[in-house]
Amino acid sequence: MEPLYDYSGDFDPSFDHGKLSKDGLVDLLHTYSDYIRRLDGHWYLSVMNRCGDDAAFACDTEVWERLVLYEMKTASELLNIKGDDAVAVAKVFQVSPWFWMYKCDIDLKSRDHLIITYTSCPTLAALEKEGLGREKQICVDLEMKIFMKMAHFYNPDMKVTALKLPPRSGPDDICCRWEFKVER
Amino acid sequence: MELLSDYSGAFDPDFSHEKLSREALLRILKSNSDYLRRLDGTWYVKVMDKCGNDIAFECDSEIWEQFIFYELKTACDLMNIRGNDVETLMKAMQATQWMWIHDRTFELINKNHGIITYRNCQTLFHLEKEGTGRWATICHVLERRLFELTAKYFNPKIKLTPLKLPPRDDGSDISCQWEFKLEE
Repeated sequence: MEPLYDYSGDFDPSFDHGKLSKDGLVDLLHTYSDYIRRLDGHWYLSVMNRCGDDAAFACDTEVWERLVLYEMKTASELLNIKGDDAVAVAKVFQVSPWFWMYKCDIDLKSRDHLIITYTSCPTLAALEKEGLGREKQICVDLEMKIFMKMAHFYNPDMKVTALKLPPRSGPDDICCRWEFKVER
Repeated sequence: MELLSDYSGAFDPDFSHEKLSREALLRILKSNSDYLRRLDGTWYVKVMDKCGNDIAFECDSEIWEQFIFYELKTACDLMNIRGNDVETLMKAMQATQWMWIHDRTFELINKNHGIITYRNCQTLFHLEKEGTGRWATICHVLERRLFELTAKYFNPKIKLTPLKLPPRDDGSDISCQWEFKLEE
């Protein structure tokens, strides 16, 4: 059967995404990446509006400390990404469900040394627009914890260093830059 | 270029999902669907632990009452699903990213009358295991509200009737069953 690009035809009781063409699947992945980001952001704001930022941030931290491990494990198993080096981390960044939402430069200097630069980040853009200074918590405190968990999933000795963090000097500035390094 | 079935090979600075095979993309889509369910569920449970079930349910309801329209619009735009009858509604529900999580059957009796049966619902299984009776709010109140909003999105004249709701008689029972009917 010819793969479908969309579902404009008749109702098919057994329709599933497996009937779509490769282009259709890539488009779905792209769209659902934004869906994940929005859902997470809505939860944060909804809790913050009711219980305050401290409670929302505490929940956010616990949610992501747990989910990042699931994300690492799933990506590694699904796409057979193995290793104890910065290469594995670089690859897992590229396949993350979130990757579509950001513009990143992934500079793999060597097997054990990676620098990742975010040049566009919708989360930071939203936080800057909100103007409450929440980027200190989200981009500095939480992101460091998440990146440490990612690094340590592959190698407990991998070091994570923030080379550049918000606030930005202006919209043309990069969002953040991180170094992952294993000393052998 | 040969399509990749996984990402076990060398780091590719220009990696994109377009380089993966259809089978690999489908595995990722399926996994992202579960990721989404876990993200939503983990947020609920963390908020419940910190702020209580009433607050968690309020947040959940607020989020999904907004999000359902985004979800349906996204699915319809992406899949070019157009119309204002029950057939259109059922096609859209088949096409959302939740399709991988639920074991559901869609019975379209005619274009204005359809029945959706959830056979194995992971959310209900989790709630049954938790044993606090939260299915009474999640399935009876929120899910009903979301299906009403789904019907309204396509045609305010589409009527929703729950034919079967939790609790289940036993483990072999269906999870729930809903009828959508457009009377013109």
